[in-house]
Amino acid sequence: MKEDYLWDKTGEPDPEIQQLEEILGALRYEPKPLELPQDLLVPRRRRNHFPLLAIAATVLLALLAAGLWLRVRSRNESPTQQASIETATPRAEEKPNETPKSPVNKSAVNPSLLTARKSYRKRSAPSALPKQEREEALEAKQQVMLALRLTTEKLSLVHKKNQSPSNQIKNQHRVG
Amino acid sequence: MYVTADMLLMNPEQPQETAVEVVLVRAVLDGDRDGFARLYDLYAPLVHGILLARVPRAEVDDLVQDIFLHAFKKLHTLREASSFGPWIAMIARNRAVDYHRRSKETVEISDEVRGTDTHDSKAKEILELIRSLPEAYRETLILRLVEGMTGPEIAARTGLTAASVRVNLHRGMKLLRERLGFVEGV
Repeated sequence: MKEDYLWDKTGEPDPEIQQLEEILGALRYEPKPLELPQDLLVPRRRRNHFPLLAIAATVLLALLAAGLWLRVRSRNESPTQQASIETATPRAEEKPNETPKSPVNKSAVNPSLLTARKSYRKRSAPSALPKQEREEALEAKQQVMLALRLTTEKLSLVHKKNQSPSNQIKNQHRVG
Repeated sequence: MYVTADMLLMNPEQPQETAVEVVLVRAVLDGDRDGFARLYDLYAPLVHGILLARVPRAEVDDLVQDIFLHAFKKLHTLREASSFGPWIAMIARNRAVDYHRRSKETVEISDEVRGTDTHDSKAKEILELIRSLPEAYRETLILRLVEGMTGPEIAARTGLTAASVRVNLHRGMKLLRERLGFVEGV
């Protein structure tokens, strides 16, 4: 095909195209040596280090953040554990006096709840106190907690008395 | 086994020209100055053809040298070594535009005034006819008829698709026949 000859010089040659090739061949590129100045340096490949640097920086930041987080966490956790252990001991002694039926007493005595609350408070406020002061603060806190527990128990007793049948009738009478 | 540029160039079974140019570009970037001379040998006809379609013939040879010198200096900016052909073709087109921008106020001296040999005057006449064709056709036609490249070669070196080159060749040839006074099919 003549079209093939124009495309890739295969097939039946087209005389017109051959004629044009012959005439225009006079203008064809004549090989000449490339004249590069001798002092011209070979260009060096410019390596793009940005992605590697970005990855390294990200990893470094992540490691720093993890380190800081672990340090803060370890600082906060040690006094909380002490407090929970110390607060749990007197509660065990008081247990026989408690009335297990009362829901108010249950919540007041539940050690896990108290520990959780304490640990939450401790984590939220970073402790920068020295060891002696911390111990004193913990003792004071224990005393406060003991007082609160006693108060709670007394309140629960009052509450029980109020809920007894005679009082209920009285209350109904009063309300009515 | 390490494959050198020479081994690839000497291997007749090497199917893709791009593989050769990739090796050559990498070799040049690694300091092989001779590798660039090989790239010049491979791509000088392409650059010559692109320039011939746009600037006066007398300026073409000097511009070819300028373009390769520029390409040598800027080779490290080439992202894909396999795109050397399209890259240098684009440099050549831009340089042709620059040439016309700079020489707006100068008058081009015709070959007759310059007193050149009349041996290839017919070739120049046909070249002028090709230059009067739309830009898409003239470059492809010059690469085919003047530089003697085949359609697949033009596509591979310029980065155009084979379909585009085929269309440009056939439409351009049809227009050229009309202007030359050839009657199609006779």
